[in-house]
Amino acid sequence: MVLIGESIHIISKNVSDAVKERNPKVIQDLAREQTESGADYIDLNLGPAKRDPEEVTQWLVNTIQGVTDLPISVDTLNPIAMEAGLKACKKRPLLNSASGRTDSKELMLPLAKKYNTDVVISVLTDKGCPPDIDSRTESIMETVALANELGIPNEDIWVDPIILPVSADQKQVAEALEFINILQDLLPGVKSTVGLSNVSNGTPEELRGILNRTYMVMLGRRGLYSAIADVLDKELVSLNKGELPNIVDLIYKTMDGEAIDMSSLPQKEQDYVKTARVLMGETLYSHAWLES
Amino acid sequence: MEYKAPLETYAGKVAEVVIGRGEKAMKIGGESVLPFHFFEGTIENRPRLALEVFDAEPQDWSEWELKPYKGIISDPVAWAKKCLEFGADMVCIRLVSTDPAGKNAPADKAASVVKQVASAIKSPLIVYGSGDATKDIEVLTKVAEACAGENLLLGPLAKENYEPISKAALDHGHCIIAQTPLDINLEKELNVKLLKSFPPERIVIDPLSSALGYGMEYSFTITERTKHIGVMFGDNTMQMPIIADLGSECSRTKQAKENEKQGLLWESITALSLLLAGANILVLRLPESLKLMKEAIEGKI
Repeated sequence: MVLIGESIHIISKNVSDAVKERNPKVIQDLAREQTESGADYIDLNLGPAKRDPEEVTQWLVNTIQGVTDLPISVDTLNPIAMEAGLKACKKRPLLNSASGRTDSKELMLPLAKKYNTDVVISVLTDKGCPPDIDSRTESIMETVALANELGIPNEDIWVDPIILPVSADQKQVAEALEFINILQDLLPGVKSTVGLSNVSNGTPEELRGILNRTYMVMLGRRGLYSAIADVLDKELVSLNKGELPNIVDLIYKTMDGEAIDMSSLPQKEQDYVKTARVLMGETLYSHAWLES
Repeated sequence: MEYKAPLETYAGKVAEVVIGRGEKAMKIGGESVLPFHFFEGTIENRPRLALEVFDAEPQDWSEWELKPYKGIISDPVAWAKKCLEFGADMVCIRLVSTDPAGKNAPADKAASVVKQVASAIKSPLIVYGSGDATKDIEVLTKVAEACAGENLLLGPLAKENYEPISKAALDHGHCIIAQTPLDINLEKELNVKLLKSFPPERIVIDPLSSALGYGMEYSFTITERTKHIGVMFGDNTMQMPIIADLGSECSRTKQAKENEKQGLLWESITALSLLLAGANILVLRLPESLKLMKEAIEGKI
């Protein structure tokens, strides 16, 4: 799976302070660390980028490119910042993201064509996040059709089903697996991506990793192409490289409903089985899901 | 062709909790089907009905709420006996006097009132603290000690105070009420934590019961989902009986305060709804609505 490193995020205080002070060190350390950890892209999350969007974005893109050759995923809702970022990228960037929202269709999608980028298209619409798999399908079919009309081929489109926290909406977490599973039938040739860590948003910090990792493996099995993820999580990167086949196998068996003799498994493997069962919607989530 | 009704078989069963000791003992829950699904299995223990008693003279009750207890509202023992005369299966004493925001009466005093009531009545006793998480530790621990062996149903236990209270309940032989704020994930978490040191057959879930028009649909959904998860899907951390503590909630509404008939309708409709969702114990305020619920249940069983 293609991994997009999520650490350069304006919500992080380190990052927002560094941007205010135009201090390249924090940004470059994060870019370097993620490159060394095995990221394939560096996500640059600017949020709404209200202040000096052009100058800030260009500075960030150039700062990152000063220490890494990886391509950048320019992640903002502000079309002015987006255009400035795409222009500054040396490698073919990922426009992250467009959606089914009217403003996004009018202002973001044309940028993907203009700068010949890969583009994330999420299922969001003017009404927010579609509540079920049918409405997600409807939204994405419509937006991708529009992108195709603009001359963006399916191969350049990375569909984002929008992952919700398992602590808030367990049903949609299971449904996203199904959505990824049918995506190639709906839109042959498209790629896909998710904001992986969102699945564990709201979960106690020390327990977030196993949710992210297990869900990555599960989504990967259903055909997910890439994820915006915490690449500083070594076990996540190892799993993705295929270095932990036993764990992957165990998660697959859980997904297939095979009988698993929990008492024969070490603690860590039991935890993966329990986590997969929660993410499939088979057991009810609680913050204490590993304790029962 | 002969029609054969499709019947469900269920993976789980609600735990049977016994409250009270000796002849007073009464069974709660224990069903292996969804509420009122008599056609799919047996429901041995019908839902139980409790009326509430305050340990101090109520300040904000309407005139018609006080009427049935005229002359005895300062006497919890006489009041509790009256509840049983009205046909209640059990009594729920609410230790309002201990609330730090009110009279802040000492725990000892409340515990001795509970002891008097428990020994005077011929039914099991539910005890609710004031709901102040810190004060309830002291109050419910004292109650547990003073009434050792009575097998009371004590609550509410919340995530902030479940450890000391559940320990006292375990040491002195009582059942407990696990309370969470209308959130099924938090409900499960508290159960999981309790189950590490407390037997499942002595826990009752209080998901919080909101009144009609004030969020009852949340209480309904969570009660219903708890039953689905426990009974249909066999999740053994969600198989405790449910208590719907709704009398006070309904009485607080604008509608109930306006007039007697509306108050009766508000409590009865809320009670019936939560009964259908799967509540195993209803805590009511009005003897009239108790009568109606009894008829509703007996008409079905």
